[in-house]
Amino acid sequence: MKTRNKWQLGFMSLALVMGLVGCGNNTANENAATPDAGNTGNAANTQTANEPEAKPEPATFTYFNATANKDTDTNKTEIGKILEEQTGVNFKMEHLVGDLNTKIGTMIASNEYPDILQPDAAIDKVLEAGAFIPLNDLIDKYGPNIKRVYEPYFNLMKAEDGNIYFLPFSAVVGEYNPNPTIDQGAFWVQNRVLKEAGYPKIKTFDEYFNLIKDYAGKHSDEKLTGFMSLTHDWRFFATTNPPNHLAGYPNDGEVQVDMNTMDSKIYATNDGTKRWLQKLNEFNAAGLFDKSSFVDNYDQYLAKLTSGKVLGFFDYGWQVNQALQTLKTETLKNGGNDDLEYFPLPITFDANTKDQYIDPASFVNNRGVGITTSAKDPERIIKFFDSLLTDDNQKLIQWGIKGQNYEVDDKGRLYRTQEQIDKLKDNDYKRQVGIGYFEYYWPMYGQGSTFPDGNAVNPGRQPEVAQASFTPAEKDRLAKYGVQTYAEMFSKPDERPWYPAWSISLEQGSEAQIYTAKKPDVQRKYFAKIVLGAPDKFDAYWNEYVDEINKLPVADYEKTMTEEVKKKAAKIKGN
Amino acid sequence: MLKTMKQQGVVPAGRGLLGKKSGLGFFLQQLVKQRALVLMSVPFLLWLVLFKYVPLWGWTIAFQKYKPAKSFGDQTWVGLKQFKFMFSDDRFLLVLRNTLAMSLINFVLGFVTAITLAILLNELRKMAFKRVVQTISYLPHFISWVVAATIIQTVLSADGGIVNEILMGLGFIHEPILWLGEGKYFWGILGASEVWKNVGWNTIIYLAAMTTIDPAQYEAAEIDGAGRFQRIFHITLPGIRPVVIILIILNLGQILETGFEPQYLLGNGPNLDYSENLEIFILKYGMNLGNYSLSVAAGIFKTVISIVLLFSANYLSKRLGQERLF
Repeated sequence: MKTRNKWQLGFMSLALVMGLVGCGNNTANENAATPDAGNTGNAANTQTANEPEAKPEPATFTYFNATANKDTDTNKTEIGKILEEQTGVNFKMEHLVGDLNTKIGTMIASNEYPDILQPDAAIDKVLEAGAFIPLNDLIDKYGPNIKRVYEPYFNLMKAEDGNIYFLPFSAVVGEYNPNPTIDQGAFWVQNRVLKEAGYPKIKTFDEYFNLIKDYAGKHSDEKLTGFMSLTHDWRFFATTNPPNHLAGYPNDGEVQVDMNTMDSKIYATNDGTKRWLQKLNEFNAAGLFDKSSFVDNYDQYLAKLTSGKVLGFFDYGWQVNQALQTLKTETLKNGGNDDLEYFPLPITFDANTKDQYIDPASFVNNRGVGITTSAKDPERIIKFFDSLLTDDNQKLIQWGIKGQNYEVDDKGRLYRTQEQIDKLKDNDYKRQVGIGYFEYYWPMYGQGSTFPDGNAVNPGRQPEVAQASFTPAEKDRLAKYGVQTYAEMFSKPDERPWYPAWSISLEQGSEAQIYTAKKPDVQRKYFAKIVLGAPDKFDAYWNEYVDEINKLPVADYEKTMTEEVKKKAAKIKGN
Repeated sequence: MLKTMKQQGVVPAGRGLLGKKSGLGFFLQQLVKQRALVLMSVPFLLWLVLFKYVPLWGWTIAFQKYKPAKSFGDQTWVGLKQFKFMFSDDRFLLVLRNTLAMSLINFVLGFVTAITLAILLNELRKMAFKRVVQTISYLPHFISWVVAATIIQTVLSADGGIVNEILMGLGFIHEPILWLGEGKYFWGILGASEVWKNVGWNTIIYLAAMTTIDPAQYEAAEIDGAGRFQRIFHITLPGIRPVVIILIILNLGQILETGFEPQYLLGNGPNLDYSENLEIFILKYGMNLGNYSLSVAAGIFKTVISIVLLFSANYLSKRLGQERLF
């Protein structure tokens, strides 16, 4: 500790002296502080390797990644070493300590950048400051692989001036492979309910609620809650979205978008929503709905889920994950009895509606890594980026080293042994291999990509790997439904280029925006009234509610959404 | 100038001795004499100007369609559009009603309970007991609203909350009531919560005022045969009257400031029509929609109302011959 303090003091005084001497070259300072960084970018600058066969000249570039991690040289990791052997390039990676905007702001003010930069949420500032160089020509000349991976998204990546300034992380290559565990919406039901009913195939809305009603009826002395719903604050959509999913649409927010015409219609007042509320009203009248759903906050909601008294609910996996994990821990303590855990079901109104609970692939175009104006050798860097985007190197980066981090079976499927999985849970080991540095924040095949041989690019999405985390009881239950992972219970997402419509930003002060601000308030008030009211008042309250919604600028909103959805889809399709 | 004024016998307003000798010369003379004090107050004057007056420049935003990225010259001016939107919105009037109602409830309950508790504490003989009561009644003040709201929600919960349990145990109700799910209960719940949270804290200033009352007055009254209640009504209450009136005037100026946290944290769908106040309205339609102009317009509205109320209360107090702020 003492020596460390001394060192820190030394570095700080050094930095201070440098600062006083003059606003010197930043990279030079860093190099002075590290004895082994003899190769600066300058050394490589003089000569670029033209022949791939010849051993490439070594070069070290700097990479600032504005997320938290331990700083390192990539060639000190096993994967980085292999990549250095291929390309001769090493990166000195620095990560964010402290405040993002301060750090990026300082870079912009001094106009001194690392060679490549991943500014995370501050990317708009960096772009505004003109710190990234355009990559179009470089990609044309040196980046055949970059082109292969990113070309379908070029339209979305281009800034207003037509230039591409950075490479995002979400370009899907090959068939889209959704997450094998359900992190999106589903109707969840307690395992014990399915077990007692003998694992029936549950597909429709009525089947689902009847299943719960039957179970609650047989166990009426246990004070069970049949169904509950999350309404707290902005999470209210967990109560307004279900009719949309039940009708076979994905989470496009407030609208249902027609697959062919791309007409966007609100569903807040359609028959689906009416049917949904009618069912909740019926459940409430029967004492099966948790009345407190409309007053509980998120924490109380999660607490109730972990209590084991709630038989069913609708929500998004990511939103209840905390509660599901707690239940899983309980299961392990109880010697593997997972009766109180939940099973996700893709419920629809009618048996022949295709469910669309799982998100289609979507492209995030406001995060990425770019080459800065301070970079000494952009060509070399773009070549390195290009070399990352081969199937072999993506396998290396995501899966690690064959025989050490993953195995291949005789059918060519990639998998990990239990030992390998456990070992990779240790972040220090993950960094030592290099997966901890390379699996994200580089030009890459996006989450959910698939290799031509059918293996998932992300090990987490490979069913063989996902299954390793299931308990024997879980595997048995899934087997009863003839599937290996939860995702197989659900239909594959159809391609919806505009997805998700909820991310479309509306013009400030426009009627459409006013609609989105006022609609939840009307629903908040009336949903409670409709559901908790006496069944004979249902129609009166429902009509009142529809009138209130119709007072809002619905037509403006639908028109704007239709236009925006079409615009977004056209941009992606490249028209 | 000075001379003419003196000749005509006009003396600028002032108090006491200073009034007799006044004018620019005298002012400067005093200024030099009290230079140390003046110099010491300069930083605070600067603070006042910098933080309380300079930001008033921002009021211009209320008359623009403000876009943060644009410079002042490039903003679009829209006149009174934001104000028109505000006053023509049904929601705004409802929100105003809620704000005023909650404010008045808090105002009345706050004064009555704090003064009552202060008097009770003042009458206590056993110091140890007094200290214990004071400490316990202060405690909730130091709990943040986030925690307090959770406590209130738990207490009022329909699944085993203590209020419902007691009422059911006593046979007043047969099934639990969703206290926070009924709009009509909200103002009462909020008023009670505010009292619970702040009553102890609010007594401090009254207890302090009571210590300034001369004990000789109590002794004299006792000798004259005044009972305990008579002493409270004729000595203690008149003794703290100046403090009470100043506080009333100050608080009237803040009548539109009902706070934000309790309403935001305890508010939910079913009670929305009673819990939404001005602050939440501003957050929803101003900040969340990026409509900063509307936020500023609502802020101006609040300030104007506050100033009017403050001045009228002060004027009224002056007319009634009571203490006043200025």
